[in-house]
Amino acid sequence: MSLLEIKGLTIHYETRESVISAVNGLDLSIDESKTLGLVGETGAGKTTTALGVMRLVPDPPGKILGGEILFEGKDLLKATDNEIRKIRGNDISMIFQDPMTALNPIIRIGDQIAEVIQLHGNCSKTEAMVRSLKMLETVGIQPERSIEYPHQFSGGMKQRVVIAMALACSPKLLIADEPTTALDVTIQAQVLELMNELKQQNKTSMLLITHDLGIVAETCDEVAIMYAGEIVEYGSLAQIFRNALHPYTIGLFGSIPSLDKDVDRLNPIQGLMPDPADLPEGCKFHERCNFIDEKCETGELETVEVEPGHFVRCLRVAKGEI
Amino acid sequence: MAELLKVEHLKKYFATPAGQLHAVDDVSFVINKGETLGVVGESGCGKSTLGRVVLKLLDLTDGRIVFEDRDITSISEKDSIALRKEMQIIFQDPYSSLNPRLCVSELIGDPLIVYKMYNKDGRQKRVYELMDLVGLARRFAFSYPHELDGGRRQRIGVARALALSPKFIVCDEPVSALDVSIQAQILNLLQDLQAQQNLTYIFVTHDLSVVKHISTDILVMYLGVMAEKCESKELFRKPYHPYTKGLLSAIPVPNIDHVKRPVELLGELTSPIEPKDECRFLARCKYATDVCRQGAPTYQEVEPNHFVTCHNVREINNL
Repeated sequence: MSLLEIKGLTIHYETRESVISAVNGLDLSIDESKTLGLVGETGAGKTTTALGVMRLVPDPPGKILGGEILFEGKDLLKATDNEIRKIRGNDISMIFQDPMTALNPIIRIGDQIAEVIQLHGNCSKTEAMVRSLKMLETVGIQPERSIEYPHQFSGGMKQRVVIAMALACSPKLLIADEPTTALDVTIQAQVLELMNELKQQNKTSMLLITHDLGIVAETCDEVAIMYAGEIVEYGSLAQIFRNALHPYTIGLFGSIPSLDKDVDRLNPIQGLMPDPADLPEGCKFHERCNFIDEKCETGELETVEVEPGHFVRCLRVAKGEI
Repeated sequence: MAELLKVEHLKKYFATPAGQLHAVDDVSFVINKGETLGVVGESGCGKSTLGRVVLKLLDLTDGRIVFEDRDITSISEKDSIALRKEMQIIFQDPYSSLNPRLCVSELIGDPLIVYKMYNKDGRQKRVYELMDLVGLARRFAFSYPHELDGGRRQRIGVARALALSPKFIVCDEPVSALDVSIQAQILNLLQDLQAQQNLTYIFVTHDLSVVKHISTDILVMYLGVMAEKCESKELFRKPYHPYTKGLLSAIPVPNIDHVKRPVELLGELTSPIEPKDECRFLARCKYATDVCRQGAPTYQEVEPNHFVTCHNVREINNL
């Protein structure tokens, strides 16, 4: 059974002027000790999905309009505030993109980590502190530095602190929202390796949100490609990287300058993401698609399983035309 | 090919309370007309400072800059203003580099006003020309930056840089703030413009795949010094400097058949303030020997047109 199953999740941001459809009927599932990569561009709804799972969508203006989020068979959307508070940080925890703003600048980092442990671990302050020091050691920071403040750490070190905090209660599911985007490549490599090691040790499942297909290739088991609030393609790592079918996925791969091959000109996707407050009818990608036919502009879309475990949301792929 | 820009032993130090910060330390290179020099390195390695010093947006501490056979190292303020017509810059952040109170047409026309070019009608015509050139629809002429997305804003930045028909442009991380699909559009635009107008670029970035795609030569910088410089494809085939090797192994490759190399680079950038007389890369280098502690290595040509600053480069690479 999968650890997390999202069915038909719909999240809108309602403002006085407009309704922004951030997530539209999204289906996803993550199995135990597996990593799912959620890939998409700015504004695709990746972070909103993650916040939805944590029930952290700011309301107002955010509204979770429908769907189910089953975590170990229990619907998180029906859980009371008290129940969800017990799950957050304990069973599901999150690593945010920007380590500079994820830490409280006026609390010593040792205390910040101990706070999570004390809250969920039913233990005394001293015991929490002991475990906090141990966590620091696990992520490669000398325990003596626990009395320092966030500004005394570099970006990579801060992200290690955030990882220590997220993993302090050995969560079953870790949501990492662009955990290395703010870091330099050499530091990124170190942080990714650390996350992989800890994940394997603790058998943690992970939802990794990123826009970097290179990181996906190195860390994920399954991949979901997100566009305008929908999953347009979903499959195993091999299915997506060897046999991408959705025109958007193909376009994404064409946009990255390659290190292995020499390409004179890139093949970018034309145009821009549609405005989430005014999404087009039919296929949401049709305005930028090279394979468009009339039905794409109006037709009802369905997600089709083209081979076991490989899902695509495209009319023309469904008809076997691409 | 004709030399456009020559930089010799360029140094830029900043005074800090803790001592001199060596942002750029003894950098030399030559760029030919119509070519692109890619400058790569981590944050804090001095790559942006280098771009700005070359344009004389920052005063240099020591060294020489020659542009079109003319020494511009110590030219007067007035001459350097005239020089800006020839040398321009595209900034990293299309959000903060545009005045939010000017519309697109005013933003692009601004350089033309500063240099008193064209009359009012001629200017508007030139603005439209530039908008066509960078692929910005004319209907946006009277929109304000906040109404546009990052890709379109960066096109404004490109149009502004092109307004005075310069020969040389410093592109300071022009695509880092953009999504991949938009990034590819801007890269193609920059390449097309280069081909059309025989432009010369310095392309500053931290993204190695982007720099490989667009550059003729690549300069790898580490803590203000040149670590390695050679032809673009050569660098990826034969990285000789331990830092370049580490940098290349650290990039996640979007190919599942790619064998992941173990992490080679440990630790972080050391401080650029009052560096000791030793190899700057010492603390992170796994090949370090006693020689490396005894003095800074020199920049040497190990193979034709392939320069490396490392004491042990021959031993490490069996040259």
